[in-house]
Amino acid sequence: MAAPSKKVFEVFVTKIPWTLAGKEMREYFAQFGPVKKCLLPFHKETGFHKGFCWVGFTTEEGLNNALQKDPHTLEGAKLLVQKNIRPFQGPRLSKDAEYD
Amino acid sequence: MAALLRSSRLLKCSPLGLLQISGTKRTGPPLRLLFSGPLGARGTGVCSRHISPVSGNASSRVWPYTVGCVRNYAVATEQKDEPSIAERPNQAQEFDFALARLDSSVRRTGRITKVQLNRIFQDICKKAAYPSGNQALLLLRSCGSLMPEVPLEQRTELAHQVWEKLQELGTVYDVSHYNALLKVYLQNEFKFTPTDFLAKMEAANVQPNRVTYQRLIAAYCQNGDIDGASTILGYMKSNDLPITEAVFNSLVTGHAQAGDIESAKKILTVMEGAGIEPGPDTYVALLNAYAEKGDLDNLKKTMEAAESAMCSLVDRDLMPVIITLAKAGHQEHIPHMLERFSHERAYVPDAMNLCLSLTTQGLEDTAFYILKNFPSLQNNPSLQSKDTIIEPHLGHFLLRHCVNIDMSPEKICRFCKELQESKLNTEPVIFTLNVALETQKTALSLALMKMLKELDLPIRPHFFWPLLSPHVKDRNQAGVVEVLKSMHDLKIEPDSETLTHYVYPAFTDVEAAREALKDAGMSLESEGIFAAQVRSLALNNLAELHTMLSDPSCPVTDLSVFRGSLIVGFKKFSDVESMVKIIELLSKDPRFSREGKEMHNTSAFFLYHFIDHMSEKEVHANKDKLRKFFNQLKDQKISVTPNIYRGIRRLLDSYQASELVKDVGALVNHGLESDALPGSGPEYAPEKKIGSRVYALEKKLAKRKSENQPLGFMLKQAIQSHAAEDNLVRALELKQEYEDEMLLPAYATLIGLCCRLNNVEEALNLKRELTRKDSSVTLDGNKYISLVNSLAKKDRIEEAVDLLKEMKEREVVLTDKNNTQLFHMLFSLANNGAASTVERLQDSIFTLGLAKPTTLLLSPLITAYIKNEDLSGALEAASRCLKLYNHMVPVHGIMVAMVEKGDADLLQKAMEFASNERGEMAMMFDLFFAFLQTGRYREARRIIETPGLRARTTRISWFAAKCINSNQIEPLEQMVGMTEKLFECDRDEMYSYLLKHYEVTNEWQKAVALWTKMQEENLIPRDGTLLLLAKILKNNGQEVPFDVSKMWYQEEAPPAEVKREAPTPKIEAPTPKIEAPTPKIEAPKPKVEEGPSSKDPSLQSPIIALCKKNRAQEALTMFKEAKDSPFNAKSFNLLICVLLSEGSIKDAMAVKDIATSRIPEFQMSHAANDLYIITTTLKGQANDALERMKQADHMPSKLALTRLVQALGNSGNVSGIQEVEELIKGKVVNLATMPVVTRTAIAHIKSGDLEGATEVLEAFYTNPDCESQPQGMPYVFNMILEDNNEEALDKLSAMAERLANQFARYRPVSDLFLELLDADKVEDAKFMLARNNAVAEQTDTLVAYLFRKSRIPGQLGKIETLLSLIPDFAEKDVVNKHVMRCHINDKDFSSAKALYEEWQKSGGEIDTVSLKRLAVMYRMFGETVPFNEPRESIRFFELKEKAQKKEKAQKEAET
Repeated sequence: MAAPSKKVFEVFVTKIPWTLAGKEMREYFAQFGPVKKCLLPFHKETGFHKGFCWVGFTTEEGLNNALQKDPHTLEGAKLLVQKNIRPFQGPRLSKDAEYD
Repeated sequence: MAALLRSSRLLKCSPLGLLQISGTKRTGPPLRLLFSGPLGARGTGVCSRHISPVSGNASSRVWPYTVGCVRNYAVATEQKDEPSIAERPNQAQEFDFALARLDSSVRRTGRITKVQLNRIFQDICKKAAYPSGNQALLLLRSCGSLMPEVPLEQRTELAHQVWEKLQELGTVYDVSHYNALLKVYLQNEFKFTPTDFLAKMEAANVQPNRVTYQRLIAAYCQNGDIDGASTILGYMKSNDLPITEAVFNSLVTGHAQAGDIESAKKILTVMEGAGIEPGPDTYVALLNAYAEKGDLDNLKKTMEAAESAMCSLVDRDLMPVIITLAKAGHQEHIPHMLERFSHERAYVPDAMNLCLSLTTQGLEDTAFYILKNFPSLQNNPSLQSKDTIIEPHLGHFLLRHCVNIDMSPEKICRFCKELQESKLNTEPVIFTLNVALETQKTALSLALMKMLKELDLPIRPHFFWPLLSPHVKDRNQAGVVEVLKSMHDLKIEPDSETLTHYVYPAFTDVEAAREALKDAGMSLESEGIFAAQVRSLALNNLAELHTMLSDPSCPVTDLSVFRGSLIVGFKKFSDVESMVKIIELLSKDPRFSREGKEMHNTSAFFLYHFIDHMSEKEVHANKDKLRKFFNQLKDQKISVTPNIYRGIRRLLDSYQASELVKDVGALVNHGLESDALPGSGPEYAPEKKIGSRVYALEKKLAKRKSENQPLGFMLKQAIQSHAAEDNLVRALELKQEYEDEMLLPAYATLIGLCCRLNNVEEALNLKRELTRKDSSVTLDGNKYISLVNSLAKKDRIEEAVDLLKEMKEREVVLTDKNNTQLFHMLFSLANNGAASTVERLQDSIFTLGLAKPTTLLLSPLITAYIKNEDLSGALEAASRCLKLYNHMVPVHGIMVAMVEKGDADLLQKAMEFASNERGEMAMMFDLFFAFLQTGRYREARRIIETPGLRARTTRISWFAAKCINSNQIEPLEQMVGMTEKLFECDRDEMYSYLLKHYEVTNEWQKAVALWTKMQEENLIPRDGTLLLLAKILKNNGQEVPFDVSKMWYQEEAPPAEVKREAPTPKIEAPTPKIEAPTPKIEAPKPKVEEGPSSKDPSLQSPIIALCKKNRAQEALTMFKEAKDSPFNAKSFNLLICVLLSEGSIKDAMAVKDIATSRIPEFQMSHAANDLYIITTTLKGQANDALERMKQADHMPSKLALTRLVQALGNSGNVSGIQEVEELIKGKVVNLATMPVVTRTAIAHIKSGDLEGATEVLEAFYTNPDCESQPQGMPYVFNMILEDNNEEALDKLSAMAERLANQFARYRPVSDLFLELLDADKVEDAKFMLARNNAVAEQTDTLVAYLFRKSRIPGQLGKIETLLSLIPDFAEKDVVNKHVMRCHINDKDFSSAKALYEEWQKSGGEIDTVSLKRLAVMYRMFGETVPFNEPRESIRFFELKEKAQKKEKAQKEAET
């Protein structure tokens, strides 16, 4: 349930190299704890992602583990991982929602 | 859509510029959208063409080729006046800005890209009607070697384009421009005929100068044409033009080019003979000559010669030699030249440009050789920062360039390989692939991916998306299949995302896609393909989806794989049965639930998401289907948990669709044991509970009935309970059973239930029954509208209309809520396309006067037509609405539909309509929004850039709000970009719309980018906007790079200053953030504490608002509630003032104490101080007021002082007055005008000290200045008389008489006499007069008395008394005038008339004012004026009199 009172444990990741997609992000962050959601928006026009991503953990522990690790290096690139301050309220996509 | 626009040309009422613009081609790159020119003022900086002193210093190292010619320009043009610049300061600024942009590029990289130049070119063309000479110069100059990435021919072409375009726009070229063009020719090795060029200049009446000739010589020499050069040289000589080093340098080249290297060499000797020392350029010219020949020995010798001649050749000087060597095919000598390089500081950028130039000219191997010999980072510690190891990324610039110029994939791959193997670059392939994908170079991308595979680096499906997306966009199926094949070759299987977003959309349907894939020999079994198929089916065919999913062979698929698509598919409501089946499947089949999750939770969560994703509009439009859906779910025993129920209920409530809540409520834990209901309360309605309750109720009913007790209320309850369950049958049974006991509410409930269940017949029956029972009762609006709605839905329009008529007859009053209900009814009918029904109902509603026609109520009609795709009908309907109800329904929807349909004719009609009714401007905006909405941005841009168009704030904000609400960010962004140059457009507001959106979506990067854009636009954002930006940044844990500590409501905050000093946003400096992750985690902590403070501005402002409305107590209460809110001093003072003026001194002081405790340096404002003094004085606490005055460091206002002194006097506080006197002495306040003396006297009298009073007064009257203040004394007398203070009267009259007798001061006696008269003590007055005859001679005082009294109605008696006592103190006319005024004041027309006649008879001269006054009176009493009425107004005469008096007084003073 997406009740606003419910705690979310999300990190906001930036500086993601173009070679990574949602799957890789999910897999990488799974090492810190079970990942509930991972949203890496893509530009439909260009086919490239936008360079940032939200990763939601199921538990606070996962979140903390992810935040404690530094640096986050993935395929030679340093990811910038920070706590997502406000839970992402993604735009309601009218055409097709992307969930994974 | 271009055709569409063209059609608008024919429009008669066509707006200003739409016609003309349709033809022009606008090719601003998308980047330009949010780019901007300067609006505000900038420092003047470089705005003339004398660039050399400014940019030359800063960028001479990177502006190598221009420095020289810039100097020459300066020579050439310095003498020239340039008035145009002074006249057009804006252009100068724009030029400055363009220059700054180019300059920064040159500074950073030593080059300009074609895109940059084009952008500025377009910019200048658009902005300046007459591009200035400077701009032209800037553009031309850039078309040379500053663009190493552009082939030489293209550069010349570009220069010509610029030249012609600007000339067209009205730029006047002078010699500097021609010289610049020549330089560009030389740099681009452009072959042209110098004589033609000269002829061209002559034709343009431009005189060539020395520089022109020099360059023409150079041009001849470049081609080895010594004769040509000599001709010009001879001409220069004969014209006494100095032959400079540059000429000799050219000659060196010329001879060499002519093959005569010896002569070339000899030039150096000639130079020496002419007293000119060969410079580096001379040696370089010679070096080039040898290089061309591949003569390494002479190269070396020449370099040594230069060295020994103390002419040092720097790296940059030698670079052209390398190009020459490479061009001439003598690559083998290049290493020798490279050895010579000293790798000075500027080497790298210069060498980069060298590499780019070489590559552009097809000499990429040389370029790569130079690249590989770049001074390595490892060897150059100065290039390394201390603690970070820079990953070697050598050559990215060159790789990018190679891709851009379409170099063959083999070659690029080879370079990548070399770079990788030489470890100069860790990931050249990935980088190059990125560039190749960005530029959508398929062959190269695939080649690079092959390399990746060989390197054992992963290739991922999304690598192919950039290649697929253009094909999908063009629906190029073959292209898609081609890419898929290559994927297959690389053994990459397309995953579901790839298929869903980048493959299937290119095909008409999934089957076609599968067919194509199959034909291409691809496997259809992959997981991705399956998921994509599921998604596609979810979108388009729910029945098939159900079949597929319920097939036991269907693999385990988490719902999340296709949830989004399923929601979209569900929202279509095309197949409710399948929807139910799918939900059922989800709730029962474990294959679709994530591990560890209850299945029925999966379906319930999905329901929640489904509702969540619907908009209010969608919910209302599909209410019936939703209900059907829920009911069927219930039948299938699908259940939701109370939690989910609550969530859905909240959503429905927020959509104003609470009527659906019940239907969802019926699903709560259906089929589960009731003990599974934690915390089951009355807020939700588990079916069982209702059931048992109804059962109990019915039992009670039966019991009561048997006892013959009244049971109306209980019956109603029971029926309502059944209604809540939609149990119509039982409810009707109950009705039947207890027919006699049925009350109106019970009927109403039943009717409502019937309507909800669409059982119109029953509803009407019930209504008839009710009327039969009691014809006087009337249903409320709600039920009526429900009935009308049900009838209309069943197409029983006539009956519906009859019902509406009945409503009118029965005078049913419609509330606002009913009005909304009406709208929802009409809207849902409209959504079903029932246009005629909607119109009929609207007609009836409005003609009956049930509701007033509003745009909102009218709009469903348009919706209905649009829904039916009857756009011309919609347009006609809009026109009817306007005619009938004088309401213009928004044509936005119509236009959007028309644009989408591409119906040009209709759109033209719509435009005509909108233009006729609302004006062209409004129509333009309609059109603009329609284009924006439909994503036709180019057209939208054309519209909004129509000359003469002005911003319409309300419309723009309407559209912005619409975009924000419907999450259409792209149109909004586009609009913000396009309106940049819109006249009177509030840029700050435009940006704040976007910020508001970014706040919602938390896109702080975008917000920061926006801020940068605002700076670019030279926009000074408002505080509110900055605050919002700061909030977004803070919310995301970002540093706020500007100062917002001042709250926005402090008007004094100088926003402009803050912004200018603000550094650029900090996002570009990520390193500190990486290094310090721990503070990052803690960052949110203070954020939470800041929670209330972010609320504060909104709390302070309502308090201020209340204060301003003088609602002091409410403000105070709110203030007390908002305990810790940070009030500023100003607000504190405001609150204090309001409280004081209300008389709440105590509260005010309490607030003041709080203020002091919060703001130590808090001071009550002057106004607050004054108010305090006045209020306390009024409350009789004059001493407090005095204290306050003593504490305050400023002088209270005159009013406050007067009040204070008055109060002190009245309370007999002489010392208090003295203190005040002491305090104000010598301060700005004029002591004399203060009632201090009088008040002191009064104070004495009050305190019983008559002696003291007399003393004060005596001193006052004997003062020769006292005459100037006549006011005080009468007041003292007046007071004594009023107080009946005989003793004081005696004393003072004695004093007055003494003064008259001894000092001939008659003022006191006269005053006393008049006061006696005024107090009706006529006898005393008589005695007074008898004792002091002189009083009768005090004409001025007496006339003043007359004057005073005649102004107040009812004072005629006093005047008459005075006249009876002293008959002839003034002229008759004067007396008459005042008496007349009395009559007029008393509205005593007859007396006035009598006086007029008498006055006339007496032969006196009646003054004009009196005549005028009298005339007014005559007219007031409806009589004709018997004399010539003065034309001027009374006010005029009064002013005249005043002026005369003043003049008189002045004259007297002079004499």
